[in-house]
Amino acid sequence: MKKLEVLSPAGLAVVAPGGSARRIDSLDGKTVGEVWNGVFKGDFTFPIIRKLLQARYPRLKVIPYTEFPHVPGSDNPTRQRELARQIAVAAKEKGCDAVISGNGA
Amino acid sequence: MTTTGFSLLARLTGKAGGVEDLSIAEYPGPLGMHDAGEIARNIEAVLIDRIVSGLTQSRGHAATAAAGSRDSRQIVFCGTAAEVNAFFTTEEWSDGLPIVPPTPELVECFLQFTDRSPDEEIAVLPSANLRATPLNISVNAAMAGCRPEHMPLIVAAVEAMGEERCSLNNIGSSSGIFPFVLINGPIVAQLGINAGAQLVSRAPNPAIGRAIGLIVRNIAGFRPGASYMGTFGYPLAVALAEYAEESPWEPFHVEHGFDRGANTVTVGVTNNWGSSPAPYDRPGQSGAQTALELLSREIARKTRVFNFPGQGPHAEKVMITLLLSPPVVKSLAAAGYSKQDVKRHLYEHTRMSLREFDWISRYTSISGITARERVDEGVFPPEFAGAPDDRVRILSSPDVLHIVVCGDAHRNRVMVMEGGHTQPTTKPVRLPPNWAELLQQPDA
Repeated sequence: MKKLEVLSPAGLAVVAPGGSARRIDSLDGKTVGEVWNGVFKGDFTFPIIRKLLQARYPRLKVIPYTEFPHVPGSDNPTRQRELARQIAVAAKEKGCDAVISGNGA
Repeated sequence: MTTTGFSLLARLTGKAGGVEDLSIAEYPGPLGMHDAGEIARNIEAVLIDRIVSGLTQSRGHAATAAAGSRDSRQIVFCGTAAEVNAFFTTEEWSDGLPIVPPTPELVECFLQFTDRSPDEEIAVLPSANLRATPLNISVNAAMAGCRPEHMPLIVAAVEAMGEERCSLNNIGSSSGIFPFVLINGPIVAQLGINAGAQLVSRAPNPAIGRAIGLIVRNIAGFRPGASYMGTFGYPLAVALAEYAEESPWEPFHVEHGFDRGANTVTVGVTNNWGSSPAPYDRPGQSGAQTALELLSREIARKTRVFNFPGQGPHAEKVMITLLLSPPVVKSLAAAGYSKQDVKRHLYEHTRMSLREFDWISRYTSISGITARERVDEGVFPPEFAGAPDDRVRILSSPDVLHIVVCGDAHRNRVMVMEGGHTQPTTKPVRLPPNWAELLQQPDA
């Protein structure tokens, strides 16, 4: 049988791989923000998560999702990018050490 | 936070943005179907530890290739046709059907049919944010079984997919969105693209559609089960062409600002490739009137009708493509309807009771909120705050409707394809200067 040499159909990477910020050592005394996109029952799950986290870490401050830009159903890429920028700005302004984003994927 | 089955998608999304060590806390199971008690138990027993771990422990990540470092002319495999197919299946580069082995010689034939440089950037396609070039577009087109002369069409489609308007990054939804291409202009006849009966199943249309599907997989990076999450999967992407000779209306590309003699490729999406009911002329009601009522009924029973009335920047995008066979269009035109008249009529007359609409929205949309709440958000018009028996217009505008004339010239059928999160995006086809000469070559 004839052997064939073939090329790859895959696209070429344009985004350089990087990493994220160093993780915090402990949640004790830290500030964590909640970011929600309006679906998958986040209005139900975040309050439970908030309560459980604060039970473990009494000095933990949680900034609820209602204090971040929150636009359900936005599927415009330009708007998505602007929203991400606004969320990052808000997280810095509110002194967040970390952010939890969800629900869903 | 993710739910089971979607964590890989989150990792790939992070990677596409350059973040290789995204912390992910996975909720166990389908949260949407869990009641309040089960959700609370799962959060306390499983999720909360994962959240704490994600916030405080680095995942670390293996070093990966730097951007653009791969040699796109590198031979990635050598073997028999069967071995090549097995390798491509293992690499998830195939759609499950046998592929034509993309040898450098075959790919070179495709490259002759574009005047773009082989390594020129045609687009960077989301969700993986990978660069499409004539070279890797050729590889996918060859694999799909396209002919080299289809290359300008495929390149134009990739350009369209790279546009913000197309919003390709949104098609990973579990609702199962897949692309289609619509080809307009003299090139339809020149290349023998089918616009008539059984068009999506007659060569060369299936290969062109398949090429788009492979590019969505291999360059845009939408892999089923990883970042392409349609619950029941996807049929092969389809290629349509408009049946200009059989249509009394202006063709799609002219409606969108192109000259009649221009060649264009439009990329759109649909959530379904479904039934095609037939309107009939009966005593007391014309075929044209039946067609309009039938289209309204078909639109009203679509799955994502809960999004159809949305307006403004907070609304999800809606595109509804109406495939009308020539006999249906001719009956409408004979009754005095232009294409715009049909859109306006359907906008005004496609209605549903608020009670029915609210049930669909409450129990089948992700947000689960009522029409009245959507009015309060400024997304739905005020009529959605009315009484339960009010029959409200469910389309936000005539402009979400897109009409394509195609199919059997002797059969009166329609098909309504709903799509969301994107808008149809049209690009002109760029032919190389020696196009006519190329088409005369023996193997073209």
